[in-house]
Amino acid sequence: MPKTVLRVVDVVKRFGGIVAVDHMSMEVYENEILGLIGPNGAGKTTLFNCITGVYRPDEGDVYFMDEKITGLPPHVIIQKGIARTWQKVRPFKKLTVLDAVTVGALLRIPDVDSAQEKAKEVLEFVGIEKEKWSRLGSEITLIEHKLVDLARALATEPKLLLLDEVAAGLRPHEMDRLAKVLLRIRDEKKITMIVVEHVMRFVMGLSDRIVVMHQGRKIAEGSPQQVASDPKVIEAYLGTKPL
Amino acid sequence: MAKPNKILGIPRRNFYGIIVFALILSTVPALLRFNTYYVYLATDIILIASLVAAWNIIGGYAGQLDLAASAYMALGAVVTGNLLAFYGLTPWLGIPIGVLIALGVAVAVGYPTFRFGIKEVWYALLTAALVVILSRIYWLIYGSTETYLPTYEWSWFYLRFNRYEPFYYMLVVMLAIVLWINYRIRHSKLGYYLNAIREDELAAEALGIDVRRYKLYALMIYATLASIIGGIYVCITGVVGYRNFDPWLGITTAVMGIVGGLGSVEGAVMSGMILRTLEDYLRGTIGSQYPGSHLLVYGIILIVVGVLKPEGLASLIEYVKKRIPWLKS
Repeated sequence: MPKTVLRVVDVVKRFGGIVAVDHMSMEVYENEILGLIGPNGAGKTTLFNCITGVYRPDEGDVYFMDEKITGLPPHVIIQKGIARTWQKVRPFKKLTVLDAVTVGALLRIPDVDSAQEKAKEVLEFVGIEKEKWSRLGSEITLIEHKLVDLARALATEPKLLLLDEVAAGLRPHEMDRLAKVLLRIRDEKKITMIVVEHVMRFVMGLSDRIVVMHQGRKIAEGSPQQVASDPKVIEAYLGTKPL
Repeated sequence: MAKPNKILGIPRRNFYGIIVFALILSTVPALLRFNTYYVYLATDIILIASLVAAWNIIGGYAGQLDLAASAYMALGAVVTGNLLAFYGLTPWLGIPIGVLIALGVAVAVGYPTFRFGIKEVWYALLTAALVVILSRIYWLIYGSTETYLPTYEWSWFYLRFNRYEPFYYMLVVMLAIVLWINYRIRHSKLGYYLNAIREDELAAEALGIDVRRYKLYALMIYATLASIIGGIYVCITGVVGYRNFDPWLGITTAVMGIVGGLGSVEGAVMSGMILRTLEDYLRGTIGSQYPGSHLLVYGIILIVVGVLKPEGLASLIEYVKKRIPWLKS
């Protein structure tokens, strides 16, 4: 039985009358890539925000390594070891690539010079060319932004990494590049990941296990093949067959 | 790339830069042939440059549009000034007391402000209001009368002189210290964190930065420096009154910092010096013929700079650096 890294228990998040996350429960096991999919508005990003402390859940609890982390602020949650990237890239536009990643590394290494060394290591790991390191955040391409965001999060030495639509807007060959990096993160750094994704080819090929959300609830769970043939999932994505 | 050598916690290059800059500035009174009025103007320009450099910590690094520079500066000024005028206390003790009070106000305002996430234009409004509120409070306590400090021919103890040169050199030292603190912050964890907060607060917090705490640190350092500058300022002018709390000065400080290019202390100092010189020059020339017209011209120049160089003067410095290879590290 693999170790449980993250446990989400009956989490509810409402915005006014809308229930964005509705009694959602799931578990994430050590060293797996969990794909979290669902149609637009299914509540995936809201669930991410509840886990990382951006929102406080209205009901339910989140446990990380058997420790309750419900409602803690984001800067405390990352100290525990949960890092994330954002659906829309959030670059530090006026900072160089190296400095942006150094900001992440400073969480565990308070000395600037050593943090910079760590940042270089991580940048090399995710595969950003050396000549890009001195570019400003406003001067790099989308795939580089995604990789810098990823490097920034990795530099904080997380145990669990939450990736919110990393592949969105990328070309197919860029997605392959990204997928390789993610697999290396799992295999070499032994980091568990939750990947929210719309691009099915990407997430189906990458994930060890898939959870499907629809209207704030979990409707299916299993291996990519199981989930893809589940009638409830097909219904959520395509609607019911006309008579 | 070799590890950069550091002196006093800042890169060697910046350290020598400060020394050379201070040495060049110290020749200015002689170049002005010790003309009292010109030396006074030079003193005023260095004072504003130091204030803008101090503002750079909260405005440039932390990205908070603070318009209360004159509030912290005036707190230093009125505390130092009143202690000297009424109790004969030396400014050498008056300034530290002024700093403590300014720090107290900074924490009392900053803590709830950052706690409730007040930022951007709302932070600007709040800080602009702080100047006015403090001015009214002072007015309620002391009334509208202005207090004059005792005069001395030449007293280092009371920091009163009948010339401006001692103040000029004190402020050159002060400017050097403020620059050093700026560089020191930029090359430390605090600087990296403040820059990250300026660029994207939410992303910064998700990287483990306690945003409120670091903003408060920046505010406290800035309030300390501004109140020391205020303490020196009151000894120069020799007048204490509610007018020390000057909203216009708070706004111009921020304007100079923005024109300089947010986050670049070199740009901030340069723009502080250029704009203040310009303001004084216009006041002395067309301002005397058509009162107030210098502000009009000043405003037009600001707009032109804003349209042509929205990145600020710092981008000009970068441009020059790229053209002259040996200026690169």
